[in-house]
Amino acid sequence: MKKLLLVSLCFLVLCVTQVFAQNRTVTGTVTAKDDGLPIPGVTVKIKGTGVGTPTDVNGKYSISVPAGATLQFSFISFLSQDIPVNGRNVIDVVLAPNTKELNEVVVVGYQTIQRKDAVGSLSVVDAKKFEEKPIVSFLQDLQGTAPGVQVTGSSGRPGNNAVIRIRGTGSITASSDPLIVVDGIQVATVAYAELNPDDIDNVTILKDASAVAIYGSRGSNGVILVTTKSGKANAPSLHYSFRYGKTQRQDFKNVTLMSSAQKLQYEYDAKYLDPTLDTMLINRGLPEDLSAITDAQRQTLWNLAISRGAGDWSKYLFQNATTRTHSISLSGGADKISYFLSGDINDNAGVERYSGFNRKGGRLNVTYQALPWFKMGTNIGVTTSHDNRVREAYNSQNSYAALFFFNPYEQPYNNDGTFNTTAQGFSPLEGAVNNPVSYDIVSDFGTFFAEANFFKHLTIKSQYAINYNTQNYQSYLQPGSNLAIILGYNQKQDQIQQNFFYSFTNTANWNQTVGGHHTFNALLGTEYDKGNLYTLSATGRGFPSKDFTTLENAATPTQASTSITQFSLISYFGALNYDYDKRYFINITGRRDGSSRFGANVQFANFGAIGAAWDLKNEKFLSLPNWISDLKLRGSFGTSGNNNITDYQALATYQTSKYNDQTAIIPSKLANPNLTWETSHSQDGGITYGFLDSRITGELDYYNRVNSNLLYPVNVSATTGFASYTGNVGAVRNRGVEFSINGSVVRTKDLKWDLNFMYSHNDNVVTQLYSNNAVGINASGIQRLVQGEPINVYYLVKEQGVNPADGKEVYYNLDGSTTETYVGSQAAILHNKSANVKHFGSFGTTLNYKGLDFSASFYYSGGNWIYNQIWMDETSSSSVNGNLFTEAANYWKKPGDVVPYPRVLDPATGKPDGTQATENYTTKYLEKGDYVELRDVTLGYTIPTRITKKYHVQSIRVFAQGTNLLMWTKYHGNPEFAEAGETASFAGSLALYGYPPIKGYTFGVDVRF
Amino acid sequence: MKKLLYTTALSALLIAGAGCSKSKLNLLPFNQLATSAAFANQADFTYAVNGMYQGLRASGSYFDGTWNIIADVLGDNLIINPTGRQSLKSYYIYTYTSSATYGLFSGGYTITRRANAILENIGNLPAGTFKNDVQGQALALRAMTYFDMARVYSKTYLNASDADFTLPYVTTTAATNLPASEPLKGFYDKVIADLVAAEALINPLATNKDIYLNKEAVAGLLSRVYLYKGDYANCIAQANIALGATPNLPSVTTFPSIWTDATESGVLFKVKNTTIDNLNNLGVNYYQYTPPPAGNPTGNGYKSEYLPDFGLYSSYDATDVRKSSYFLTFYYNGALENHIIKYAGRSGPPISATGVVNTNTTNPAGVVDGKALRTAEVLLNRMEAEYRSGATGPALADLVLLKTNRYTGYAGSAIATADAALSGAGLLNEILLQRRLELAFEGDRFFDLKRLNLPVARTNKGEKADGSGTLPLSLGIPAGDYRFQLPYPQSEILFNPNIKQNPGAY
Repeated sequence: MKKLLLVSLCFLVLCVTQVFAQNRTVTGTVTAKDDGLPIPGVTVKIKGTGVGTPTDVNGKYSISVPAGATLQFSFISFLSQDIPVNGRNVIDVVLAPNTKELNEVVVVGYQTIQRKDAVGSLSVVDAKKFEEKPIVSFLQDLQGTAPGVQVTGSSGRPGNNAVIRIRGTGSITASSDPLIVVDGIQVATVAYAELNPDDIDNVTILKDASAVAIYGSRGSNGVILVTTKSGKANAPSLHYSFRYGKTQRQDFKNVTLMSSAQKLQYEYDAKYLDPTLDTMLINRGLPEDLSAITDAQRQTLWNLAISRGAGDWSKYLFQNATTRTHSISLSGGADKISYFLSGDINDNAGVERYSGFNRKGGRLNVTYQALPWFKMGTNIGVTTSHDNRVREAYNSQNSYAALFFFNPYEQPYNNDGTFNTTAQGFSPLEGAVNNPVSYDIVSDFGTFFAEANFFKHLTIKSQYAINYNTQNYQSYLQPGSNLAIILGYNQKQDQIQQNFFYSFTNTANWNQTVGGHHTFNALLGTEYDKGNLYTLSATGRGFPSKDFTTLENAATPTQASTSITQFSLISYFGALNYDYDKRYFINITGRRDGSSRFGANVQFANFGAIGAAWDLKNEKFLSLPNWISDLKLRGSFGTSGNNNITDYQALATYQTSKYNDQTAIIPSKLANPNLTWETSHSQDGGITYGFLDSRITGELDYYNRVNSNLLYPVNVSATTGFASYTGNVGAVRNRGVEFSINGSVVRTKDLKWDLNFMYSHNDNVVTQLYSNNAVGINASGIQRLVQGEPINVYYLVKEQGVNPADGKEVYYNLDGSTTETYVGSQAAILHNKSANVKHFGSFGTTLNYKGLDFSASFYYSGGNWIYNQIWMDETSSSSVNGNLFTEAANYWKKPGDVVPYPRVLDPATGKPDGTQATENYTTKYLEKGDYVELRDVTLGYTIPTRITKKYHVQSIRVFAQGTNLLMWTKYHGNPEFAEAGETASFAGSLALYGYPPIKGYTFGVDVRF
Repeated sequence: MKKLLYTTALSALLIAGAGCSKSKLNLLPFNQLATSAAFANQADFTYAVNGMYQGLRASGSYFDGTWNIIADVLGDNLIINPTGRQSLKSYYIYTYTSSATYGLFSGGYTITRRANAILENIGNLPAGTFKNDVQGQALALRAMTYFDMARVYSKTYLNASDADFTLPYVTTTAATNLPASEPLKGFYDKVIADLVAAEALINPLATNKDIYLNKEAVAGLLSRVYLYKGDYANCIAQANIALGATPNLPSVTTFPSIWTDATESGVLFKVKNTTIDNLNNLGVNYYQYTPPPAGNPTGNGYKSEYLPDFGLYSSYDATDVRKSSYFLTFYYNGALENHIIKYAGRSGPPISATGVVNTNTTNPAGVVDGKALRTAEVLLNRMEAEYRSGATGPALADLVLLKTNRYTGYAGSAIATADAALSGAGLLNEILLQRRLELAFEGDRFFDLKRLNLPVARTNKGEKADGSGTLPLSLGIPAGDYRFQLPYPQSEILFNPNIKQNPGAY
């Protein structure tokens, strides 16, 4: 049968060849208008047929044409040309670049459409943005690339994900993360850093109802569509790139830590005797009181401590980390097949010593046109990564915290070479070496599809896609480690997680233009998704030595368990796009989703949206002046949902536990058969514009998004034995403006100079709330959920300052009177002050002169408030046993002192004043998070083609790039952080001791053959 | 033709996708059980009974949580260590508020709800010993938990008027329940009624062992409640049941083994905390240990959260076995302190007072069973009840019995001679002192001061071994102060209008 098929195919090819053999052969070269260089890969097609050929590396083509034919020359980012053959044998063509960038295709929900036909609000980020940086996760690279898309990724841990909010925070307890879809399948969070940024062709960000409604119950926080690269009908093109970089910890702004001498003086003044000095006194037989010895004796001890001490602990805790990336890809295609094959090796040491992330991956994307009307293909990517982590916690067991907590006069190592546990009783260096934690991840991304054009207008597509991630977590409390001694046992925990998600999607797409003016594009589809998370965890104790690292060596297995959770989603969806004469556009979308996560009464829900657009430039009865090159009005409204909650929340259950190592059954949660989706209602209005032959382009959008039925714990009386069940209460509104403008200042053959600017503004407000939420959900009690205020508005006691008369901290009561006693119940809601970023954006420039290219981009963000826990810790005399900021010495010493920090000694007794050595949460340490950062600066040089061509190299580019080199802020420390270690709840609210943000330099070379 | 075939196949997929059955959405968890299926047979009840005790263990505010220190932090047995982690400090300095109060309110109701579920479904079991025992354990566990909750949040019986109220005695599992505050005296009657009912149903200690509630334990709990109520005759009667003819206290030699779980002697009920459970709160409540660095034998050491009140520590005689069982004097960063090692763990303290490192490291530090009721307390209940009902002879005999089992070489010692001469207030004071010394760091002192209507009066001495160091941040609170009644959680007050806040609390 197969043989017959092949023979038939060959016969068919023969016939085709026969047909064209009767015609004339036309040859020629296609060059570009701007630089005069030949363009490879231009499609040369006989108009009105499917017959065509690409140009070769030298821009040359050869094609047989029938008499009277017209040739159509088209290539991405160039204006197409139709040229009648008119009996010629040689036709050379000069293609002009298409400056109207809107003339592209764009990936939207379940299909690809012309960019200029898009009705919804969406942003496209091009591949170039993901190259060059010393950052592992592509999500962090999205920062500043699209208006309305807020990306915070300051934790500098390699492989760390960014926090992304599209048009503000829409949920309180459920995730506010957007849906991320790679080649047609939703991927797990764990897989984000596993995707090679060099494999990404483009990213489309869907923002408004019209664009996201097709994703129904998963779309309310926006959708990010990632499309990986595919081959072009072309000769094989080999691309190799190498990047070498150095990263280091970003220093904190506006504050410095004390030196040994400063700290010792502070302690002496504060009448604090630290253990290091105490031991020195005891060893010398001196009284345990620094004021009871002579000044000379004290100075001798101090000098000795200073000479022994670490000085700057960052030398020991952090490192200048090296990053190396090799990336290679081969892509191309012929008539019926196109392919993209790539591999990369990525090695990133972390700036915290003993941490690091490395990744190796490969990808093969192939499309095969099996028959003129039938095509199939697959995109497969496999990645492995290894991640060594150091502990993040709000104590001295975390390296970044240790930088603040360890005194500069303390030694990193004892005289015998062992780690010094210091006054904090723990050495994070010792912890990192002796209590290693690692994650090994294997990620598979696979998309398989078949597509048939039954006849000209109808395309039927069936796609099966998987995302499979296994994660091996190992945490070893090695025998002999400090922590093992404290706990009285050594222990190793191994955990394996298998996260399998598959999606089966079937669509039918009808695309037709009737009567020249009416264009219809109708889409119908179904989707079935299922996720399965399997976790195996085992723990054992009693390892003979640290060289035995597997659990079979444990004397006592202490724990073994597995768990499984599953969820499923059934969907039916449809979309209809219609335009009349490319002037009036309308888009109608509907989706019906059923999810296993919700109560039996309300498993299914409907979502839908309507969008419309009017292209004023194409409008017949308006004659817009010539300087307007493009003008389009857009508008949409509709609904979408959020189902991002824990599985099985709707059910009442008992779960197992143990008593006396025997089975116990305990009540787990209350039922809510009415548990249902969070629903987002949004409206969007926008303008797309282009002026002066598209030298100035951009967009302006206004949106209003109300998320209601928020998933939220509904309280019950604690006397029932439960605190709450998951219900649907409350609403949050995000309203904002997005604006972008790009200008080509100079646009000549040799010199190009562009400027760009983006601005986004978002106002977040809780519009409806569960009435009994007096306490609210938060970690540290410094935030509240209040109707009419942003999510998690700050709730703090107001602080007036230090009383110059007695040196005590003065607080405001709720009635406006002042007091020197801190009473937590006098905390007030701080109107409109929350961790929600209100405005952010980017500005930058690119400059190209011949082979030289330069670009710089700045990111700015602000309007948010951060509770600066580090600043509080490091200026309070209650933290005297660790290091402090130099400004902590500016405390009250005598009546009349107007200073920021309260007295350290009680003047009445001359002893430390415990009442002022407190860390009360007050407005004193609530700061604005505004900053501007030089995110990216790049200088590159492309060696002229005429030189490289001699060596059969298409192009060579060398570049140097800097990330996060400069920052301007008034904040004490570093305001850009997404997660602040293990204890933070709401992103950006409490500055704790997470992994520090990085800055770095990268040098690289790109070679294309 | 082929074209038609392919297209039909793909269309079929499309339709198949559309026909996805709704049943695919009915996914059930793998590790949980529908509530309706939880009480079907005898095994289910065994698991549910274990679930009640799991609650006693898992609550952070109860037997394997902070229960072994909270009454001492609030009372006069401890001084906060300025170089510790400052845990539970708001209780030490009495700054707790309704928005940050002790967790036994929600923790307690979580446990009693489990007992209520068993009692509501008890009819599913056939009549017999198993059913009786399950019912008895559920009743007793519920009553014990409610009594402890009332001790935290409310006045004690003898100090209360008929107008004084306490928390609701909930006996249902209804999730919409909004119960009201109850009169305190009626609440005591409900506790007693449940315990009396349980006593008739439950298996004896020999059958249930001391890690489950049992007849002797229930009698012991009753002696405690009757003592608080001032019903001395019943207190003595129940103590007699709990102790039997020859009380096992145990002896001076066996006593230290109670704290390493090497003996069950003298324990009527305790909450099991196995090495696999690995809850080290009991130990960590008091200290964490780091070995001294090489070349500096006085560096690091026991980092205590709390150290004994100097007055309390001085009250232990050198011959008192409790002194060496409860305390160890050793360095922390160069300074000598009297660390509390009562909950060091099943392997004992990591280093001795003379610096000898403990080589037994088979058990995790700080992991021991939570002692809930010991024979010594029942004996102390009985001697006090005897004294208060005028039977000073039996009271003195009981005192001598206890001290014989605690003081090395007691018979014929000067202490014994002095004790023999005790009478009147002197005898009562010695009984109350022995109660303090015996039950220190065991969840008793603050409630005892409340019961006796005494102030919290801490010794004005520092935390170091010799009483030097930083003086107490708070010297205590006067007798009858409103802060003796801890505030109810604000979230409950706001949610449930039927619950009244304690007077004075905010």
